[in-house]
Amino acid sequence: MSQKIRTAPKQDSQSTGTIAVADASAQVSMDPFFHILKLVPYSFLRPPRLRLKLPSFSLPSAMTVFSLILLTYFMVVSGFIYDVIVEPPGIGSTQDPATGAVRPVVFLPGRVNGHYIIEGLSSGFMFVLGGIGIVLLDLALDKNRARSIKVSYSIAGISSVVIAYVPGYLYQSFELKLFY
Amino acid sequence: MATVTNTPVSDLLKSFKLKTKQQELLIRVSILCLVYILAFIIRLFSVLRYESMIHEFDPYFNYRTTLYLTQNGFYDFWNWFDYESWYPLGRIIGGTLYPGLMVTAVLIYRILHFLRFAVHIREVCVLTAPFFASNTTLVAYFFGKEIWDTGAGLVAAILIAICPGYISRSVAGSYDNEGVAIFALLFTFYLFVKAVNTGSLAWSLASAFGYFYMVSAWGGYVFIINLIPLYVLVLLITGRYSMRLYIAYNCMYVLGMLLAMQIRFVGFQHVQSGEHMAAMGVFFLMQVFYFLDWVKHMLSDTKLFQAFLRITVTCAVAVGTIALGLGMLSGYISPWTGRFYSLLDPTYAKDHIPIIASVSEHQPTAWSSFMFDYHILLFLFPAGLYFCFKRLSDATIFIVMYGLTSMYFAGVMVRLILVATPAVCLISAIAVSATVKNLTVLLRSKNKGVLTGSTKGSSSSKASSKALLDQSQPFQKNGAIALLFGAFYLLSKYATHCTWVTSEAYSSPSIVLAARGAHGNRVIFDDYREAYFWLRQNTPADAKVMSWWDYGYQITAMGNRTVIVDNNTWNNTHIATVGRAMSSYEDEAIEIMRSLDVDYVLVVFGGVTGYSSDDINKFLWMVRIGGGVFPVIKEPDYLVNGEYRVDKGAAPKMLNCLMYKLCYYRFGEMLTEYGKPPGYDRARGVEIGNKDIKLEHLEEAFTTSNWIVRIYKVKPPNNRW
Repeated sequence: MSQKIRTAPKQDSQSTGTIAVADASAQVSMDPFFHILKLVPYSFLRPPRLRLKLPSFSLPSAMTVFSLILLTYFMVVSGFIYDVIVEPPGIGSTQDPATGAVRPVVFLPGRVNGHYIIEGLSSGFMFVLGGIGIVLLDLALDKNRARSIKVSYSIAGISSVVIAYVPGYLYQSFELKLFY
Repeated sequence: MATVTNTPVSDLLKSFKLKTKQQELLIRVSILCLVYILAFIIRLFSVLRYESMIHEFDPYFNYRTTLYLTQNGFYDFWNWFDYESWYPLGRIIGGTLYPGLMVTAVLIYRILHFLRFAVHIREVCVLTAPFFASNTTLVAYFFGKEIWDTGAGLVAAILIAICPGYISRSVAGSYDNEGVAIFALLFTFYLFVKAVNTGSLAWSLASAFGYFYMVSAWGGYVFIINLIPLYVLVLLITGRYSMRLYIAYNCMYVLGMLLAMQIRFVGFQHVQSGEHMAAMGVFFLMQVFYFLDWVKHMLSDTKLFQAFLRITVTCAVAVGTIALGLGMLSGYISPWTGRFYSLLDPTYAKDHIPIIASVSEHQPTAWSSFMFDYHILLFLFPAGLYFCFKRLSDATIFIVMYGLTSMYFAGVMVRLILVATPAVCLISAIAVSATVKNLTVLLRSKNKGVLTGSTKGSSSSKASSKALLDQSQPFQKNGAIALLFGAFYLLSKYATHCTWVTSEAYSSPSIVLAARGAHGNRVIFDDYREAYFWLRQNTPADAKVMSWWDYGYQITAMGNRTVIVDNNTWNNTHIATVGRAMSSYEDEAIEIMRSLDVDYVLVVFGGVTGYSSDDINKFLWMVRIGGGVFPVIKEPDYLVNGEYRVDKGAAPKMLNCLMYKLCYYRFGEMLTEYGKPPGYDRARGVEIGNKDIKLEHLEEAFTTSNWIVRIYKVKPPNNRW
């Protein structure tokens, strides 16, 4: 019964049998709000017959929650909050001293606690890809699938993990310059 | 026949041969012992390179209070009013600190002395943090065992032993609250999850005492008292209410709250502060759930119960909201304080509270900081989350919530990467352990598959799938071996990265600076200690020193002199007064200094060495903080076209303010770099604008050998005009 308490007993007592009547009367006698409301507006007001359904609240499945969480993890790890507050440029630029052309600089040089926006987002994306890669590996080892799917999952998984290690490798190559 | 001749030896060997269970236990215990030792030794880089000394700024205050505690006993310590800092206000130390760290260090000191090891308290202080880091690895092992299995526990212990996010604040010499607090945090969480899993009263009470230890150790206990109610709420929403949860939360909350009120600094905040109200709300919600459960148990009629349920929940929520509203309106429940509010709204501190915004550790985190501190754990974390979601239980829900909330806060503030580290290590450990287990099962399944396929009479589909499996067996086995090598490679890269990071980035004592000379040799600048010991030996005992608040703790601890402001930053107006004095012309500044009874002024200057964390680089913060309280100080006066300069094109107010004069006095004649004019500032990379500086009311008292710390004496007023 999804209608509100104060309208339900009226319909109930009219349409159902004696047991329902006893039920309804038991419901009627217990609810104090019903008694008050029966008296104050609804003794002279007649509620319309509507087909309203209270929104039913069902919990999302675990995997739905997991995908939402992956999205927020991507935003946190790519330094989204840093982007919003400090507002760094999308990508850096240097001027080539010889030709005078402007070359883009991807990684912010000289310090560990700053980045450009594109650098942050792409690294964050690669980390999430790596995580998904390991998930695919686990799905690939599940026994109840067709072999071709298992093979494709495992290949995708391995390549994702390899790609995910790229930011780490690139990072090490220039962080070494930082401290030496 | 060979066995007959070797009988005694082979018998001896057979008596040593262990059963599989014993072998496993031996392996586990030896791994844990090695990890314990590793966690301790990796933190000892700075002790081996320099000497056993306290690092940074805050630990000097902790060291001074620990010294006081050993000399004067607990009662004097608890009621200590310090007149040597924040002159002329003083500071109530007993009521404004978290005593856990000091009491722990003194306890270890007393135990060692009881065993007749006559160590100095400084050694105990320096090595407290690595000792507790080792203990944290043990707690991580047990926690991992609780959440997943022993394999995950072992991997978690190893990961957390060398994770740079944790090492950064627990290196030897970093005698700070976080060193002990992370151990207390993980310990409390472990005890609580154990209590929820077992429903035992003993574990719940233990978690309450763990919470008490955490409250006594660090102000970050607010994280625990908000995460645990959030966790309970999530369990209630997902329909996992049980008697175990009821017992665990109630005992922990009530007893923990009462124990926490014993710390004077915390006081009645658990019932008065807005940050602790979530715990109380969830406490009442639990009572409502229990009541409804009991009523459901008594009633046999479900329809009746549904109606009753609706009424009760509506009433409870209404009463709770009204009570909260009344509390906040009447002012009894204080709103969220600035420090914690800026976690929810990161832009708040930038606009309203410059002191909080000026601390470099409070800046939001860039991806490179994450990478630096976590390395491969960054992509193992989402994989671990997946495994947790695959096998949802009360314990895995907890670790997922801890991981997500702490990662969000780590994204807001760099310093909080430390709080997220245990969660990230645990969840990554689950990923590693589950993946490795899958792969090794694949490796070992070959023999079993062949045996069961041939001996047991299985169904046709199973036989066909086993046949397929047999066909691809060698390929899969090779693939699994390759993947295991890959995992080994990644983990070894992680270990290399962690060791390198610890050695290069996190082992510098900050008070002793090191640089590479022209020939690659290491040059050490010990100017800070030189200056503080000069103060200690060459100034009268009641001299008052004015400096920026960064150096206050070090001056009181090492120089043994009274300071005007220090790192506690509890009085913004006092700091703003000092900021105003530093940014005014000399004539205005001398008035302020005379009103504060200042005898000496200390500034830090990096122009000769290229040291970039000096007072000229921090100067704009002095202007902002001073200007926040005294509107005479306006930031645009010191900037030229929005740019901060110290060369000829700098603003005139900048060229003549006290800080500029004190830093660059006599610097105009100094040759700092070959090929550059005299007065070339190596930290800013420009030639300074005002080289001919004359000081009227101050005279130079001491400049260290590399010009890093400069001390000036305030001249007494003229006798006759």
